[in-house]
Amino acid sequence: MEQAPPDPERRLQPAPLEPLGHPDAGLEAVVGEEVEGARDEGSGDGTMTENNFWLKKIEISVSEAEKRTGRNAMNMQETYTAYLIETRSVEHIDGQSVLTDSLWRRYSEFELLRNYLLVYYPHVVVPPLPEKRAEFVWHKLSADNMDPDFVERRRIGLENFLLRVASHPILCRDKIFYLFLTQEGNWKETVNETGFQLKADSRLKALNATFRVKNPDKRFTELKHYSDELQSVISHLLRVRARVADRLYGVYKVHGNYGRVFSEWSAIEKEMGDGLQSAGHHMDVHSVRWFLNRYASSIDDILEDEEHYADQLKEYLFYAEALRAVCRKHELMQYDLEMAAQDLASKKQQCEELATGTVRTFSLKGMTTKLFGQETPEQREARIKVLEEQINEGEQQLKSKNLEGREFVKNAWADIERFKEQKNRDLKEALISYAVMQISMCKKGIQVWTNAKECFSKM
Amino acid sequence: MSGGPPKALPSTGPHSLRDMPHPLAGSSSEEAVGGDSTPSPDLLMARSFGDKDLILPNGGTPVGTSSPASSSSLLNRLQLDDDLDGETRDLFVTVDDPKKHVCTMETYITYRITTKSTRVEFDLPEYSVRRRYQDFDWLRNKLEESQPTHLIPPLPEKFVVKGVVDRFSEEFVETRRKALDKFLKRITDHPVLSFNEHFNVFLTAKDLNAYKKQGMALLTRVGESVKHVTGGYKLRSRPLEFAAIGEYLDMFALKLGTIDRIAQRIIKEEIEYLVELREYGPVYSTWSALEGELAEPLEGVSACIGNCSTALEELTDDMTEDFLPVLREYILYSDSMKSVLKKRDQVQAEYEAKLEAVALRKEDRPKVPADVEKCQDRMECFNADLKADMERWQNNKRQDFRQLLMGMADKNIQYYEKCLMAWESIIPLLQEKQEAK
Repeated sequence: MEQAPPDPERRLQPAPLEPLGHPDAGLEAVVGEEVEGARDEGSGDGTMTENNFWLKKIEISVSEAEKRTGRNAMNMQETYTAYLIETRSVEHIDGQSVLTDSLWRRYSEFELLRNYLLVYYPHVVVPPLPEKRAEFVWHKLSADNMDPDFVERRRIGLENFLLRVASHPILCRDKIFYLFLTQEGNWKETVNETGFQLKADSRLKALNATFRVKNPDKRFTELKHYSDELQSVISHLLRVRARVADRLYGVYKVHGNYGRVFSEWSAIEKEMGDGLQSAGHHMDVHSVRWFLNRYASSIDDILEDEEHYADQLKEYLFYAEALRAVCRKHELMQYDLEMAAQDLASKKQQCEELATGTVRTFSLKGMTTKLFGQETPEQREARIKVLEEQINEGEQQLKSKNLEGREFVKNAWADIERFKEQKNRDLKEALISYAVMQISMCKKGIQVWTNAKECFSKM
Repeated sequence: MSGGPPKALPSTGPHSLRDMPHPLAGSSSEEAVGGDSTPSPDLLMARSFGDKDLILPNGGTPVGTSSPASSSSLLNRLQLDDDLDGETRDLFVTVDDPKKHVCTMETYITYRITTKSTRVEFDLPEYSVRRRYQDFDWLRNKLEESQPTHLIPPLPEKFVVKGVVDRFSEEFVETRRKALDKFLKRITDHPVLSFNEHFNVFLTAKDLNAYKKQGMALLTRVGESVKHVTGGYKLRSRPLEFAAIGEYLDMFALKLGTIDRIAQRIIKEEIEYLVELREYGPVYSTWSALEGELAEPLEGVSACIGNCSTALEELTDDMTEDFLPVLREYILYSDSMKSVLKKRDQVQAEYEAKLEAVALRKEDRPKVPADVEKCQDRMECFNADLKADMERWQNNKRQDFRQLLMGMADKNIQYYEKCLMAWESIIPLLQEKQEAK
């Protein structure tokens, strides 16, 4: 195997997870052992139990949310929500869990973590965060970030994010992630010290590559197309669903108006009814009112449940962006490779021209030579030597870039396959639970109207 | 009411009408009173009107009168509708088979009216004629004219005001047909109205227009006399009973109006919900086209939502076609009843005024002049007819609303059952594991 020149990215890869001076020795041991046995990053399709030691040994939960005030970067007062992250390690023997870590984080710190992961694991479909601002709201839900329902759903979303990362065979072993869960103070500094922001590919560079790449792997092109479509269709779905929820709310609530008018009507009938023959029959108006009111208020719970479904869809909406990020990285690498190959080819040609004396390509040197006279053989030799060195270097770089590119494609595709299976599983589950919700709603409706019918039959 | 000879006619005032024997019972009361149970006023009245005792102002005899069926079958006929079974009925009327007629001047719909009867008033056992809405309108007017002391059932609205409703659409025609059928059935069930001459002609005449032109109006004695009652008399005191009925009708119409509004609002919300559902379902289809393993589940969900949409559409159609029209009909009914009540007030007022005038003219005492007696007759007839009709109306109304509300509950149950079936059938599809990948 050829010697690959030191790669800037490799240097930045975080060291395998070896917690330093952690108070909980037992945990340390566990973590250390697992790292020994599961070093290969590439096999994304390893079983969950093999690589997923976090979930086996550790439970993570975002258990609370709290409003806080503080001063921001510009020394202005701001209000934000902090979330309590609790980590428990599960003892082998009796299955009991012991609280090992507990710290508070705010949304921006989660964002920081994710951005870090995006830079360091470009071949991984990095789980998304819950939305920053409430979108796809139907009218009753507040679009306010401080609204307790929104905060609650965000809490669940953040917990989900951490669980996803912890169950990812590669991401779970990241040191910064580990510190995120365990080191409250100074974590931000630690992340920034990795200098990941500087290593992030510039948007402009990525865009350029996307347009100019000539020969990307077709699978990535298809995947990008798929993620665009997926994003579009799920957005559409969420928008319409919000409208559907709105309308359904209206239908249920208006039924509540019946109760009062039936009561009033029954009252006037009773007044009239005293002198009449069949005065014995009266609609059980109180029951009717009760049933219809219950019906009208049942919609609140129904729609709350549906919000969970919407959140599940939203996660995959945001996952589409993560997929695109991986495709972009591939395009960038491929473009880089193509540029390097092109550069090498042109240098080789130059070299050949100098050696043979034929000028096939237009070059400034050639022009000046024509204008100012030919160079000396020594000068030419010197130039050829420089070029040959450059060519050598270039060939080596090309080789390593090629290797990198292939490694990337292999690893990325492995993770994408893992992701696809996860997506199919999760979405099927989501659809099933949605169907179950609808079934429950129908059953409740049948019950209400059957009861009302019985009341009416007593008229 | 006791079985003894009729007492002297009491004066007006807040009296329970039940205490007053029917003024027209007169000599023929023995037959009725000696019968099985205490006959209600309208039984006697019906008997009387069928009698040859009837004296018409113009001296003629009622056309087509013959003694009605025996009192027992008459009694049967007068019982509440839910006691009636096929055997005791002798008149069946149905409205069906709407057809569109296109003429040079206009386009209109006719309905087939089928009559089956064993009554002697009908020459043939069965009739089938075609009538259009304006014929029904004519009939109703004639009934109001000739039977002003009775509550005439309402017709569906003549003109369609709201929105751009197609007069010839299947739904509109069907809704109207049902209402017209109801109208005729209510008349059929009425012990007095069903024997009305105009009604008979309506059901049997080949050429109704010719009859209309003749303008031959058979008026009952009371009908004729009520027709000539002039307004302008001030009512002293309305009998409690009628005051209560008046107030009740006001409140009833109000409540119905509210229920109508709520029902309309619900339907509106349901339609808007339906619109969104119709967009929602297909998005799952679009998504399904992008996927591999998820394609079938997503397509299944799309189809499911489609089924629910269809079920919802059926619900809103049913509510619009069956529920709302009945509410409106009863609002119209209460309105027409209110005007009958007003007329009754006028008759009473005239009587009171005449009575007072007599009281002041001391020379005529104690003999009560004939025309005052006539007024009293009129009033008491009216009161009795109205009271009987009110009772009938109350019972029918209770049944109609019971059926209506149970129907509404049923339709909603059916809607949810259809949706439930759709979602339950999709669960196995969603849970299916793909064997081959």
